[in-house]
Amino acid sequence: MSQPPVTIDMVFRALGDPTRRVIVMKLSHGPLSVSQLATPLAITLTAVTQHLQVLEQSGLVRTKKIGRVRTCHIETRGFSALEKWIQECRSLWERRLDRLGDLLTELEEHE
Amino acid sequence: MPQQPATPNTFVIERHYPAPVERVFAAFAEPALKRRWFAVGGNHEIVEFASDFQVGGSEKAVYRFNEGTRFSGVLLTNVGSYQDIVTNGRVVTASTMSFGDKRISVSLVTIEFIAVGGGTDLLCTHQGVFFEGSDGPEIRQDGWRKLLEQLGTELASNS
Repeated sequence: MSQPPVTIDMVFRALGDPTRRVIVMKLSHGPLSVSQLATPLAITLTAVTQHLQVLEQSGLVRTKKIGRVRTCHIETRGFSALEKWIQECRSLWERRLDRLGDLLTELEEHE
Repeated sequence: MPQQPATPNTFVIERHYPAPVERVFAAFAEPALKRRWFAVGGNHEIVEFASDFQVGGSEKAVYRFNEGTRFSGVLLTNVGSYQDIVTNGRVVTASTMSFGDKRISVSLVTIEFIAVGGGTDLLCTHQGVFFEGSDGPEIRQDGWRKLLEQLGTELASNS
């Protein structure tokens, strides 16, 4: 089954909500059912489901229904998108700081 | 000793430049100089670059990707807001990146300048931050480093 690609803005938006960050934190310790997530958060099942949908779309969580229970797990795709984005930012800054070095040398030579 | 998992939203780059700290700082403070190393790049042309270098001031850079690149013709906009400036010491900028009209990300970049002998050590710390509320202008640096460290540890132990 192919999934639509995870984009970095989706991941940032997903993690931009404090409740969703708590959900991800909890799931990082191990899988939980939807009701196990909802109860300590003191929010409705509907609210948790909506949060989980956003997290699933951004590749941070996956859920699976077995019988009547929906279980939620941490997923790596969103995490990988984040890592990739950071690496690209890092490369960009490395190139900039290289150019800064070249510029400083050039400015000194022209004195 | 167990290896620390990488924190994927933060990195630090260190450089040393054989130039006095005032020189290096000026390359950040003066827009005409900053443009030459910060905005210039091989894959894009600079459509706009302006910098109001003071606390609360903003810096705007607009780039258009070249033909032949994956995003040919697309505009990338970076708007930075100067959060903290210490002359010859530190520059802290919160930057928003937008692709076309779609906001992608927000980063907090801290540049520190340390005079060492006749040269300068430069530390560049980059942190990804979140929007709270996808349409709002609020940018809050959140302690999600802990979240991602935990996530990283968890994923490393499961793989």
